[in-house]
Amino acid sequence: MAVTKKPTPLLTVLIIDDDMDRAATFEDALLDTPYEVKHLAHTSASLLKEVEKTEPDIILIDIESPSRDTIESLSTISAYNPKPVVMFSEQDDPELMQQSIKAGVSAYVSGDANPERAKFILDVAVARFNDYQKLKSELNNAKRQLESRKWVDQAKALLIEKQNMTEQQAYSAIRKMAMDNGQKMEDVAKNLISMMQLINGGQS
Amino acid sequence: MNNFNGVASTLKLEQTKLDIGIVALTDCAPLVMAKHLGLFEKWGLDVSLHTQPSWATMRDRLHANLLDAAQVLAPMPLSSSLGLNGAKCELITAFNLSMNGNGITLSKSIFEQIVALNDGTPPSFPLSSNWIAKLVKQRQSKGAEKLKFAAVYPFSCHFYQLRDWLAQADIDVDRDIDVVIVPPTNMTEALRNNEIDGFCVGTPWNAKAVRAGFGVTVITSCDIWDDAPEKVLAVTKKWQQNNPNTFLALMAAVQQACDWLLSTANRFETARILQEYLHEPLDVIAPSLIGSCLTIEGHSPREIPAYNRFVSDSANMPKKSQGQTLLNKMRNAGQLPHAFTDSDLNAVLNSVYRDDLYQQMQDIMTQYGEAKG
Repeated sequence: MAVTKKPTPLLTVLIIDDDMDRAATFEDALLDTPYEVKHLAHTSASLLKEVEKTEPDIILIDIESPSRDTIESLSTISAYNPKPVVMFSEQDDPELMQQSIKAGVSAYVSGDANPERAKFILDVAVARFNDYQKLKSELNNAKRQLESRKWVDQAKALLIEKQNMTEQQAYSAIRKMAMDNGQKMEDVAKNLISMMQLINGGQS
Repeated sequence: MNNFNGVASTLKLEQTKLDIGIVALTDCAPLVMAKHLGLFEKWGLDVSLHTQPSWATMRDRLHANLLDAAQVLAPMPLSSSLGLNGAKCELITAFNLSMNGNGITLSKSIFEQIVALNDGTPPSFPLSSNWIAKLVKQRQSKGAEKLKFAAVYPFSCHFYQLRDWLAQADIDVDRDIDVVIVPPTNMTEALRNNEIDGFCVGTPWNAKAVRAGFGVTVITSCDIWDDAPEKVLAVTKKWQQNNPNTFLALMAAVQQACDWLLSTANRFETARILQEYLHEPLDVIAPSLIGSCLTIEGHSPREIPAYNRFVSDSANMPKKSQGQTLLNKMRNAGQLPHAFTDSDLNAVLNSVYRDDLYQQMQDIMTQYGEAKG
Protein backbone atom coordinates (compact mmCIF):
# COMPACT_ATOMS: atom_id res chain seq x y z
CA MET A 1 0.00 0.00 0.00
CA ALA A 2 2.85 2.33 0.81
CA VAL A 3 3.91 2.50 -2.80
CA THR A 4 0.51 3.52 -4.13
CA LYS A 5 0.72 7.07 -5.28
CA LYS A 6 -2.39 8.96 -4.32
CA PRO A 7 -3.10 12.32 -5.87
CA THR A 8 -3.85 14.92 -3.19
CA PRO A 9 -6.07 16.21 -1.72
CA LEU A 10 -7.82 13.05 -0.61
CA LEU A 11 -11.55 12.81 -0.21
CA THR A 12 -12.65 10.08 2.17
CA VAL A 13 -15.50 7.83 1.03
CA LEU A 14 -17.23 5.73 3.69
CA ILE A 15 -18.91 2.69 2.10
CA ILE A 16 -21.71 1.13 4.16
CA ASP A 17 -22.53 -2.14 2.44
CA ASP A 18 -22.92 -5.80 3.38
CA ASP A 19 -22.01 -6.88 -0.11
CA MET A 20 -18.26 -7.37 0.31
CA ASP A 21 -17.60 -8.02 -3.38
CA ARG A 22 -19.42 -4.95 -4.52
CA ALA A 23 -17.60 -2.79 -1.96
CA ALA A 24 -14.24 -4.29 -2.96
CA THR A 25 -14.88 -3.70 -6.66
CA PHE A 26 -15.74 -0.12 -5.94
CA GLU A 27 -12.68 0.32 -3.78
CA ASP A 28 -10.42 -1.08 -6.51
CA ALA A 29 -11.95 1.21 -9.06
CA LEU A 30 -11.02 4.18 -6.90
CA LEU A 31 -7.32 3.36 -6.55
CA ASP A 32 -5.17 6.13 -8.01
CA THR A 33 -7.97 8.65 -7.68
CA PRO A 34 -8.34 11.42 -5.10
CA TYR A 35 -10.88 9.23 -3.31
CA GLU A 36 -9.81 7.16 -0.32
CA VAL A 37 -12.19 4.36 0.64
CA LYS A 38 -13.14 3.09 4.11
CA HIS A 39 -15.49 0.15 4.19
CA LEU A 40 -18.03 -0.81 6.85
CA ALA A 41 -20.50 -3.67 6.68
CA HIS A 42 -23.87 -2.18 7.56
CA THR A 43 -24.78 -4.79 10.15
CA SER A 44 -22.09 -3.24 12.28
CA ALA A 45 -23.63 -1.12 14.98
CA SER A 46 -20.63 1.15 15.25
CA LEU A 47 -21.69 3.30 12.31
CA LEU A 48 -21.96 6.51 14.30
CA LYS A 49 -18.57 6.02 15.87
CA GLU A 50 -17.13 5.29 12.46
CA VAL A 51 -18.65 8.44 10.98
CA GLU A 52 -17.24 10.48 13.87
CA LYS A 53 -13.81 8.92 13.48
CA THR A 54 -13.57 8.95 9.68
CA GLU A 55 -15.32 12.27 9.10
CA PRO A 56 -16.06 11.10 5.57
CA ASP A 57 -16.46 13.57 2.74
CA ILE A 58 -18.86 11.24 0.94
CA ILE A 59 -21.08 8.43 2.22
CA LEU A 60 -21.93 5.53 -0.05
CA ILE A 61 -24.72 3.35 1.32
CA ASP A 62 -26.82 0.39 0.17
CA ILE A 63 -30.42 1.42 -0.34
CA GLU A 64 -31.47 -1.70 1.58
CA SER A 65 -29.41 -0.77 4.62
CA PRO A 66 -31.35 -0.04 7.83
CA SER A 67 -28.70 2.56 8.58
CA ARG A 68 -30.16 4.84 5.94
CA ASP A 69 -32.26 6.48 8.67
CA THR A 70 -29.12 7.16 10.70
CA ILE A 71 -27.36 8.73 7.73
CA GLU A 72 -30.38 10.81 6.79
CA SER A 73 -30.76 12.04 10.36
CA LEU A 74 -27.16 13.24 10.60
CA SER A 75 -28.10 16.48 8.93
CA THR A 76 -31.54 16.89 10.53
CA ILE A 77 -30.96 15.96 14.15
CA SER A 78 -27.31 16.63 14.90
CA ALA A 79 -24.98 19.45 14.14
CA TYR A 80 -23.13 17.16 11.73
CA ASN A 81 -22.20 18.95 8.58
CA PRO A 82 -24.24 17.44 5.73
CA LYS A 83 -22.27 15.32 3.29
CA PRO A 84 -23.07 14.01 -0.17
CA VAL A 85 -24.77 10.61 0.07
CA VAL A 86 -24.56 8.18 -2.82
CA MET A 87 -26.66 5.01 -2.93
CA PHE A 88 -26.08 1.50 -4.18
CA SER A 89 -29.23 0.05 -5.68
CA GLU A 90 -29.57 -3.42 -7.22
CA GLN A 91 -32.81 -2.61 -8.96
CA ASP A 92 -32.79 0.14 -11.47
CA ASP A 93 -35.84 1.99 -10.31
CA PRO A 94 -36.04 5.48 -11.78
CA GLU A 95 -39.09 6.45 -9.69
CA LEU A 96 -37.42 5.51 -6.44
CA MET A 97 -34.19 7.20 -7.42
CA GLN A 98 -36.06 10.37 -8.25
CA GLN A 99 -37.76 10.35 -4.84
CA SER A 100 -34.53 9.74 -2.95
CA ILE A 101 -32.74 12.42 -4.91
CA LYS A 102 -35.49 14.83 -3.86
CA ALA A 103 -34.81 13.61 -0.32
CA GLY A 104 -31.18 14.68 -0.60
CA VAL A 105 -29.38 11.67 -2.09
CA SER A 106 -26.81 13.02 -4.53
CA ALA A 107 -26.29 10.07 -6.88
CA TYR A 108 -26.94 6.41 -7.52
CA VAL A 109 -24.76 3.46 -8.36
CA SER A 110 -27.03 0.90 -9.94
CA GLY A 111 -26.26 -2.82 -9.82
CA ASP A 112 -24.81 -3.09 -13.29
CA ALA A 113 -22.73 0.09 -13.18
CA ASN A 114 -19.32 -0.27 -14.70
CA PRO A 115 -16.78 0.10 -11.89
CA GLU A 116 -14.70 2.26 -14.18
CA ARG A 117 -17.39 4.85 -13.84
CA ALA A 118 -16.95 4.96 -10.06
CA LYS A 119 -14.83 8.08 -10.01
CA PHE A 120 -17.11 9.83 -12.46
CA ILE A 121 -20.19 9.05 -10.33
CA LEU A 122 -18.51 10.43 -7.21
CA ASP A 123 -17.34 13.55 -9.05
CA VAL A 124 -20.88 14.17 -10.20
CA ALA A 125 -22.23 13.52 -6.70
CA VAL A 126 -19.90 16.07 -5.14
CA ALA A 127 -20.77 18.66 -7.77
CA ARG A 128 -24.50 18.00 -7.46
CA PHE A 129 -24.31 18.16 -3.70
CA ASN A 130 -22.56 21.51 -3.73
CA ASP A 131 -25.18 22.88 -6.09
CA TYR A 132 -27.95 21.46 -3.93
CA GLN A 133 -26.52 22.97 -0.74
CA LYS A 134 -26.16 26.33 -2.44
CA LEU A 135 -29.70 26.17 -3.75
CA LYS A 136 -31.00 25.08 -0.36
CA SER A 137 -29.36 27.96 1.47
CA GLU A 138 -30.58 30.42 -1.17
CA LEU A 139 -34.06 29.01 -0.81
CA ASN A 140 -33.90 29.24 2.98
CA ASN A 141 -32.77 32.85 2.76
CA ALA A 142 -35.58 33.67 0.35
CA LYS A 143 -38.10 31.94 2.62
CA ARG A 144 -36.83 33.81 5.65
CA GLN A 145 -37.06 37.14 3.85
CA LEU A 146 -40.56 36.33 2.70
CA GLU A 147 -41.60 35.36 6.19
CA SER A 148 -40.10 38.48 7.67
CA ARG A 149 -41.91 40.63 5.07
CA LYS A 150 -45.18 38.89 5.89
CA TRP A 151 -44.92 39.97 9.54
CA VAL A 152 -43.94 43.51 8.66
CA ASP A 153 -46.82 43.77 6.19
CA GLN A 154 -49.26 42.52 8.79
CA ALA A 155 -48.01 44.99 11.40
CA LYS A 156 -48.15 47.78 8.83
CA ALA A 157 -51.76 46.93 7.99
CA LEU A 158 -52.67 47.03 11.67
CA LEU A 159 -51.03 50.43 12.18
CA ILE A 160 -52.80 51.80 9.12
CA GLU A 161 -56.14 50.51 10.32
CA LYS A 162 -55.94 51.18 14.05
CA GLN A 163 -53.66 54.21 14.20
CA ASN A 164 -54.81 55.91 10.99
CA MET A 165 -51.28 56.02 9.63
CA THR A 166 -50.33 56.11 5.99
CA GLU A 167 -48.38 53.16 4.67
CA GLN A 168 -45.17 55.20 4.62
CA GLN A 169 -45.72 56.35 8.23
CA ALA A 170 -46.40 52.81 9.38
CA TYR A 171 -43.25 51.53 7.70
CA SER A 172 -41.13 54.34 9.15
CA ALA A 173 -42.55 53.74 12.61
CA ILE A 174 -41.62 50.07 12.54
CA ARG A 175 -38.17 50.82 11.17
CA LYS A 176 -37.53 53.50 13.78
CA MET A 177 -38.55 51.17 16.61
CA ALA A 178 -36.26 48.50 15.21
CA MET A 179 -33.31 50.91 15.02
CA ASP A 180 -33.96 52.43 18.45
CA ASN A 181 -34.13 49.04 20.13
CA GLY A 182 -31.49 47.31 18.06
CA GLN A 183 -34.04 44.70 16.97
CA LYS A 184 -34.93 43.15 13.65
CA MET A 185 -37.94 44.68 11.89
CA GLU A 186 -39.51 41.24 11.90
CA ASP A 187 -39.31 41.05 15.71
CA VAL A 188 -40.68 44.54 16.16
CA ALA A 189 -43.55 43.63 13.84
CA LYS A 190 -44.30 40.48 15.81
CA ASN A 191 -44.33 42.40 19.11
CA LEU A 192 -46.56 45.07 17.62
CA ILE A 193 -49.02 42.51 16.34
CA SER A 194 -49.30 40.65 19.62
CA MET A 195 -49.62 43.94 21.55
CA MET A 196 -52.34 45.28 19.25
CA GLN A 197 -54.15 41.97 19.45
CA LEU A 198 -54.06 42.21 23.23
CA ILE A 199 -55.38 45.76 23.18
CA ASN A 200 -58.12 44.92 20.71
CA GLY A 201 -59.28 41.91 22.64
CA GLY A 202 -57.86 39.31 20.33
CA GLN A 203 -59.24 40.91 17.20
CA SER A 204 -56.83 42.01 14.59
CA MET B 1 -69.54 -14.96 6.58
CA ASN B 2 -71.31 -17.03 3.97
CA ASN B 3 -73.12 -14.14 2.33
CA PHE B 4 -69.75 -12.65 1.70
CA ASN B 5 -68.30 -14.29 -1.36
CA GLY B 6 -69.51 -11.76 -3.85
CA VAL B 7 -67.77 -8.85 -2.17
CA ALA B 8 -65.08 -8.41 -4.79
CA SER B 9 -67.59 -8.10 -7.61
CA THR B 10 -70.19 -5.97 -5.83
CA LEU B 11 -67.71 -3.58 -4.26
CA LYS B 12 -66.15 -2.76 -7.66
CA LEU B 13 -62.51 -2.85 -6.63
CA GLU B 14 -60.36 -0.63 -8.84
CA GLN B 15 -57.25 -2.67 -8.10
CA THR B 16 -56.93 -6.12 -6.52
CA LYS B 17 -53.17 -6.73 -6.42
CA LEU B 18 -51.57 -4.62 -3.71
CA ASP B 19 -48.00 -4.14 -2.48
CA ILE B 20 -47.88 -3.05 1.14
CA GLY B 21 -44.79 -2.02 3.09
CA ILE B 22 -44.26 -3.19 6.66
CA VAL B 23 -41.46 -2.85 9.21
CA ALA B 24 -40.15 -5.66 11.40
CA LEU B 25 -41.90 -4.64 14.61
CA THR B 26 -44.64 -6.28 16.68
CA ASP B 27 -47.10 -3.68 15.48
CA CYS B 28 -47.02 -4.95 11.90
CA ALA B 29 -49.34 -7.65 13.32
CA PRO B 30 -52.65 -6.30 11.89
CA LEU B 31 -51.27 -6.43 8.32
CA VAL B 32 -49.50 -9.76 8.78
CA MET B 33 -52.56 -11.37 10.39
CA ALA B 34 -54.95 -9.97 7.77
CA LYS B 35 -52.86 -11.88 5.26
CA HIS B 36 -52.45 -15.07 7.30
CA LEU B 37 -56.11 -15.26 8.25
CA GLY B 38 -57.16 -14.85 4.62
CA LEU B 39 -58.95 -11.56 5.39
CA PHE B 40 -57.45 -9.69 2.46
CA GLU B 41 -58.54 -12.50 0.20
CA LYS B 42 -62.03 -12.37 1.65
CA TRP B 43 -62.28 -8.73 0.65
CA GLY B 44 -61.08 -9.57 -2.85
CA LEU B 45 -57.49 -8.41 -2.40
CA ASP B 46 -54.25 -10.14 -3.32
CA VAL B 47 -51.73 -8.51 -0.99
CA SER B 48 -47.95 -8.89 -0.95
CA LEU B 49 -46.22 -7.64 2.19
CA HIS B 50 -42.74 -6.16 1.77
CA THR B 51 -40.52 -5.62 4.80
CA GLN B 52 -38.71 -2.31 4.44
CA PRO B 53 -35.20 -1.82 5.79
CA SER B 54 -35.61 1.80 6.91
CA TRP B 55 -38.28 4.47 7.32
CA ALA B 56 -36.55 6.63 4.72
CA THR B 57 -36.80 3.89 2.11
CA MET B 58 -40.40 3.11 3.12
CA ARG B 59 -41.24 6.78 2.66
CA ASP B 60 -39.53 7.09 -0.72
CA ARG B 61 -41.17 3.90 -2.03
CA LEU B 62 -44.61 5.02 -0.89
CA HIS B 63 -44.11 8.47 -2.42
CA ALA B 64 -42.94 6.85 -5.67
CA ASN B 65 -45.99 4.53 -5.86
CA LEU B 66 -43.79 1.44 -5.61
CA LEU B 67 -45.90 0.61 -2.54
CA ASP B 68 -49.67 1.02 -2.62
CA ALA B 69 -49.98 1.37 1.15
CA ALA B 70 -47.68 1.29 4.14
CA GLN B 71 -47.41 0.83 7.89
CA VAL B 72 -45.83 4.14 8.88
CA LEU B 73 -44.94 6.10 12.01
CA ALA B 74 -47.93 8.19 13.08
CA PRO B 75 -46.18 11.55 12.42
CA MET B 76 -45.12 10.53 8.91
CA PRO B 77 -48.27 11.44 6.92
CA LEU B 78 -47.94 14.93 8.44
CA SER B 79 -44.20 15.29 7.88
CA SER B 80 -44.54 14.06 4.27
CA SER B 81 -47.53 16.28 3.52
CA LEU B 82 -45.69 19.30 4.94
CA GLY B 83 -42.51 18.36 3.08
CA LEU B 84 -40.50 18.33 6.32
CA ASN B 85 -38.32 15.39 5.36
CA GLY B 86 -37.75 14.06 1.93
CA ALA B 87 -39.80 15.31 -0.96
CA LYS B 88 -43.18 16.83 -0.21
CA CYS B 89 -45.92 14.31 -0.94
CA GLU B 90 -49.51 14.40 0.20
CA LEU B 91 -50.30 11.31 2.28
CA ILE B 92 -53.54 10.44 4.01
CA THR B 93 -54.52 8.05 6.77
CA ALA B 94 -57.93 6.76 7.75
CA PHE B 95 -56.81 3.97 10.04
CA ASN B 96 -54.74 3.74 13.24
CA LEU B 97 -52.95 0.39 13.09
CA SER B 98 -51.66 0.36 16.65
CA MET B 99 -51.51 2.27 19.90
CA ASN B 100 -48.50 2.50 22.28
CA GLY B 101 -45.82 -0.17 21.89
CA ASN B 102 -42.62 1.72 22.69
CA GLY B 103 -40.32 1.46 25.66
CA ILE B 104 -37.21 3.12 26.99
CA THR B 105 -34.30 0.86 27.82
CA LEU B 106 -31.12 1.89 29.63
CA SER B 107 -27.79 0.13 29.38
CA LYS B 108 -26.99 -2.16 32.27
CA SER B 109 -24.11 0.06 33.41
CA ILE B 110 -26.25 3.22 33.45
CA PHE B 111 -28.91 1.37 35.41
CA GLU B 112 -26.28 0.18 37.90
CA GLN B 113 -25.19 3.79 38.41
CA ILE B 114 -28.79 4.65 39.27
CA VAL B 115 -29.02 1.72 41.68
CA ALA B 116 -25.82 2.95 43.35
CA LEU B 117 -27.32 6.45 43.74
CA ASN B 118 -30.33 4.79 45.38
CA ASP B 119 -28.20 3.10 48.07
CA GLY B 120 -27.97 -0.16 46.19
CA THR B 121 -31.67 -0.86 45.65
CA PRO B 122 -33.30 -0.65 42.24
CA PRO B 123 -35.82 2.24 42.13
CA SER B 124 -39.39 1.35 41.21
CA PHE B 125 -40.71 1.20 37.65
CA PRO B 126 -41.84 3.15 35.74
CA LEU B 127 -38.57 4.93 36.48
CA SER B 128 -38.73 8.62 37.24
CA SER B 129 -36.55 10.66 34.90
CA ASN B 130 -35.26 12.48 37.98
CA TRP B 131 -32.70 9.70 38.15
CA ILE B 132 -31.49 10.61 34.69
CA ALA B 133 -31.34 14.26 35.77
CA LYS B 134 -29.07 13.23 38.66
CA LEU B 135 -26.76 11.43 36.26
CA VAL B 136 -26.78 14.44 33.93
CA LYS B 137 -25.75 16.73 36.82
CA GLN B 138 -23.09 14.29 37.98
CA ARG B 139 -21.60 14.24 34.49
CA GLN B 140 -21.79 17.99 34.10
CA SER B 141 -19.93 18.57 37.37
CA LYS B 142 -17.24 16.09 36.36
CA GLY B 143 -17.06 17.54 32.86
CA ALA B 144 -17.78 14.04 31.56
CA GLU B 145 -19.35 13.26 28.20
CA LYS B 146 -23.10 13.81 27.81
CA LEU B 147 -25.47 10.86 28.07
CA LYS B 148 -26.35 9.57 24.61
CA PHE B 149 -29.82 8.27 23.81
CA ALA B 150 -31.07 6.77 20.56
CA ALA B 151 -34.43 6.94 18.84
CA VAL B 152 -35.39 5.28 15.57
CA TYR B 153 -36.37 8.29 13.50
CA PRO B 154 -36.52 12.08 13.93
CA PHE B 155 -40.24 12.31 13.12
CA SER B 156 -41.39 9.56 15.45
CA CYS B 157 -43.38 9.12 18.65
CA HIS B 158 -40.24 7.46 20.06
CA PHE B 159 -38.31 10.70 19.79
CA TYR B 160 -41.16 12.78 21.25
CA GLN B 161 -41.78 10.30 24.10
CA LEU B 162 -38.10 10.34 24.99
CA ARG B 163 -38.17 14.14 25.04
CA ASP B 164 -41.36 14.26 27.13
CA TRP B 165 -40.06 11.76 29.68
CA LEU B 166 -36.79 13.66 30.13
CA ALA B 167 -38.61 17.00 30.20
CA GLN B 168 -40.51 15.77 33.29
CA ALA B 169 -37.21 16.18 35.14
CA ASP B 170 -36.43 19.49 33.39
CA ILE B 171 -33.79 17.88 31.20
CA ASP B 172 -33.31 19.92 28.05
CA VAL B 173 -32.86 17.29 25.36
CA ASP B 174 -31.17 19.71 22.99
CA ARG B 175 -28.66 20.91 25.56
CA ASP B 176 -28.16 18.30 28.30
CA ILE B 177 -27.97 15.04 26.36
CA ASP B 178 -27.17 13.77 22.86
CA VAL B 179 -29.77 12.06 20.71
CA VAL B 180 -28.80 9.89 17.76
CA ILE B 181 -30.82 7.85 15.28
CA VAL B 182 -30.13 4.10 15.22
CA PRO B 183 -32.23 1.46 13.43
CA PRO B 184 -34.11 -0.92 15.80
CA THR B 185 -32.15 -3.94 14.62
CA ASN B 186 -28.87 -2.32 15.72
CA MET B 187 -30.06 -0.97 19.09
CA THR B 188 -29.03 -3.91 21.24
CA GLU B 189 -25.54 -4.02 19.73
CA ALA B 190 -25.09 -0.27 20.14
CA LEU B 191 -26.11 -0.59 23.80
CA ARG B 192 -23.79 -3.52 24.35
CA ASN B 193 -20.84 -1.62 22.86
CA ASN B 194 -21.59 1.42 25.07
CA GLU B 195 -22.09 3.58 22.01
CA ILE B 196 -25.38 4.70 23.51
CA ASP B 197 -26.61 4.81 27.10
CA GLY B 198 -30.26 4.17 26.36
CA PHE B 199 -32.89 4.10 23.64
CA CYS B 200 -36.57 4.43 22.89
CA VAL B 201 -37.72 1.75 20.47
CA GLY B 202 -40.81 -0.26 19.55
CA THR B 203 -41.51 -3.83 20.63
CA PRO B 204 -39.97 -6.41 20.51
CA TRP B 205 -36.58 -4.65 20.51
CA ASN B 206 -36.69 -3.65 24.17
CA ALA B 207 -37.36 -7.27 25.12
CA LYS B 208 -34.43 -8.31 22.98
CA ALA B 209 -32.04 -6.08 24.93
CA VAL B 210 -33.38 -7.39 28.26
CA ARG B 211 -33.15 -11.04 27.15
CA ALA B 212 -29.60 -10.45 25.93
CA GLY B 213 -28.77 -9.05 29.38
CA PHE B 214 -27.45 -5.67 28.13
CA GLY B 215 -30.47 -3.55 28.86
CA VAL B 216 -33.06 -2.67 31.48
CA THR B 217 -36.46 -1.47 30.26
CA VAL B 218 -37.43 1.21 32.74
CA ILE B 219 -40.61 2.71 31.30
CA THR B 220 -43.08 2.12 28.45
CA SER B 221 -44.73 4.64 26.16
CA CYS B 222 -48.09 4.05 27.89
CA ASP B 223 -46.52 5.33 31.12
CA ILE B 224 -45.53 8.55 29.34
CA TRP B 225 -48.52 9.19 27.03
CA ASP B 226 -52.13 8.08 27.30
CA ASP B 227 -53.20 5.69 24.54
CA ALA B 228 -51.61 7.25 21.48
CA PRO B 229 -51.54 6.10 17.84
CA GLU B 230 -48.13 4.64 17.06
CA LYS B 231 -48.40 3.30 13.50
CA VAL B 232 -50.99 4.27 10.93
CA LEU B 233 -51.98 2.86 7.56
CA ALA B 234 -50.96 5.45 4.97
CA VAL B 235 -51.55 5.84 1.25
CA THR B 236 -50.90 8.79 -1.02
CA LYS B 237 -53.82 11.13 -1.50
CA LYS B 238 -53.65 10.43 -5.22
CA TRP B 239 -53.77 6.66 -4.72
CA GLN B 240 -56.90 6.95 -2.59
CA GLN B 241 -58.55 9.14 -5.21
CA ASN B 242 -57.81 6.53 -7.88
CA ASN B 243 -58.74 3.54 -5.70
CA PRO B 244 -61.52 4.63 -3.32
CA ASN B 245 -63.23 1.22 -3.06
CA THR B 246 -60.00 -0.74 -2.85
CA PHE B 247 -58.94 1.48 0.03
CA LEU B 248 -62.19 0.73 1.89
CA ALA B 249 -61.81 -3.03 1.31
CA LEU B 250 -58.20 -2.86 2.50
CA MET B 251 -59.21 -1.09 5.71
CA ALA B 252 -62.10 -3.49 6.28
CA ALA B 253 -59.75 -6.48 6.14
CA VAL B 254 -57.28 -4.80 8.52
CA GLN B 255 -60.12 -3.82 10.88
CA GLN B 256 -61.14 -7.47 11.09
CA ALA B 257 -57.55 -8.45 11.83
CA CYS B 258 -57.43 -5.84 14.63
CA ASP B 259 -60.69 -7.16 16.07
CA TRP B 260 -59.27 -10.68 15.95
CA LEU B 261 -56.16 -9.46 17.79
CA LEU B 262 -58.31 -8.44 20.75
CA SER B 263 -58.22 -11.97 22.17
CA THR B 264 -55.18 -12.96 24.22
CA ALA B 265 -55.40 -16.51 22.88
CA ASN B 266 -54.95 -15.12 19.37
CA ARG B 267 -52.00 -13.03 20.49
CA PHE B 268 -49.87 -16.08 21.10
CA GLU B 269 -50.66 -17.41 17.65
CA THR B 270 -49.66 -14.02 16.29
CA ALA B 271 -46.31 -14.16 18.08
CA ARG B 272 -45.66 -17.53 16.47
CA ILE B 273 -46.38 -16.20 12.98
CA LEU B 274 -44.40 -12.98 13.52
CA GLN B 275 -41.23 -15.05 14.03
CA GLU B 276 -41.13 -15.42 10.28
CA TYR B 277 -41.10 -11.63 9.82
CA LEU B 278 -39.01 -10.48 12.77
CA HIS B 279 -36.45 -13.32 12.80
CA GLU B 280 -36.38 -13.31 16.60
CA PRO B 281 -37.30 -16.10 19.04
CA LEU B 282 -40.72 -16.43 20.61
CA ASP B 283 -39.52 -15.38 24.08
CA VAL B 284 -38.54 -11.99 22.60
CA ILE B 285 -41.65 -11.47 20.44
CA ALA B 286 -44.44 -12.78 22.66
CA PRO B 287 -44.18 -10.76 25.92
CA SER B 288 -45.46 -7.36 24.72
CA LEU B 289 -48.22 -9.05 22.72
CA ILE B 290 -49.59 -10.61 25.89
CA GLY B 291 -49.28 -7.39 27.89
CA SER B 292 -45.99 -8.09 29.59
CA CYS B 293 -43.00 -5.74 29.70
CA LEU B 294 -39.69 -7.43 30.47
CA THR B 295 -37.66 -5.19 32.77
CA ILE B 296 -34.47 -6.75 34.09
CA GLU B 297 -33.38 -10.21 32.97
CA GLY B 298 -34.26 -12.65 35.73
CA HIS B 299 -36.80 -10.31 37.38
CA SER B 300 -40.59 -10.32 37.12
CA PRO B 301 -41.95 -8.49 34.10
CA ARG B 302 -44.34 -5.54 34.52
CA GLU B 303 -47.93 -6.08 33.56
CA ILE B 304 -48.80 -3.53 30.83
CA PRO B 305 -52.11 -4.63 29.28
CA ALA B 306 -52.09 -1.80 26.70
CA TYR B 307 -48.46 -2.37 25.63
CA ASN B 308 -49.52 -3.45 22.12
CA ARG B 309 -53.04 -2.25 21.52
CA PHE B 310 -54.57 -2.83 18.10
CA VAL B 311 -58.15 -1.93 18.82
CA SER B 312 -60.31 -0.37 21.51
CA ASP B 313 -63.37 1.87 21.43
CA SER B 314 -63.01 3.62 18.07
CA ALA B 315 -59.23 3.60 18.54
CA ASN B 316 -58.72 2.66 14.91
CA MET B 317 -60.42 5.83 13.70
CA PRO B 318 -57.78 8.53 13.33
CA LYS B 319 -58.74 11.86 14.85
CA LYS B 320 -57.57 15.34 13.91
CA SER B 321 -56.91 16.00 17.59
CA GLN B 322 -54.30 13.21 17.48
CA GLY B 323 -52.69 14.94 14.52
CA GLN B 324 -52.78 18.27 16.34
CA THR B 325 -50.97 16.67 19.30
CA LEU B 326 -48.27 15.39 16.96
CA LEU B 327 -47.88 18.82 15.36
CA ASN B 328 -47.40 20.29 18.84
CA LYS B 329 -44.71 17.69 19.58
CA MET B 330 -42.98 18.53 16.29
CA ARG B 331 -43.09 22.21 17.16
CA ASN B 332 -41.59 21.54 20.63
CA ALA B 333 -38.82 19.56 19.02
CA GLY B 334 -38.06 22.48 16.70
CA GLN B 335 -39.08 20.48 13.63
CA LEU B 336 -41.88 22.75 12.45
CA PRO B 337 -40.72 25.85 10.59
CA HIS B 338 -42.41 29.05 11.79
CA ALA B 339 -43.39 29.83 8.22
CA PHE B 340 -46.38 27.50 8.56
CA THR B 341 -49.42 29.47 9.68
CA ASP B 342 -52.21 27.95 11.76
CA SER B 343 -54.38 27.87 8.68
CA ASP B 344 -51.65 26.00 6.72
CA LEU B 345 -51.47 23.42 9.48
CA ASN B 346 -55.22 23.12 9.72
CA ALA B 347 -55.45 22.52 6.01
CA VAL B 348 -52.87 19.74 6.29
CA LEU B 349 -54.69 18.16 9.25
CA ASN B 350 -57.94 18.16 7.30
CA SER B 351 -56.26 16.66 4.28
CA VAL B 352 -54.32 13.94 6.18
CA TYR B 353 -56.88 12.72 8.75
CA ARG B 354 -59.77 11.11 6.90
CA ASP B 355 -62.14 9.91 9.60
CA ASP B 356 -64.88 10.17 6.92
CA LEU B 357 -63.25 7.30 5.01
CA TYR B 358 -63.00 5.25 8.20
CA GLN B 359 -66.73 5.82 8.65
CA GLN B 360 -67.42 4.74 5.06
CA MET B 361 -65.49 1.54 5.71
CA GLN B 362 -67.60 0.85 8.82
CA ASP B 363 -70.76 1.40 6.76
CA ILE B 364 -69.57 -1.11 4.19
CA MET B 365 -68.84 -3.65 6.91
CA THR B 366 -72.36 -3.23 8.25
CA GLN B 367 -73.70 -3.59 4.74
CA TYR B 368 -71.91 -6.91 4.36
CA GLY B 369 -72.96 -8.02 7.83
CA GLU B 370 -69.37 -7.92 9.02
CA ALA B 371 -69.52 -5.29 11.73
CA LYS B 372 -68.24 -6.45 15.08
CA GLY B 373 -70.37 -7.06 18.15
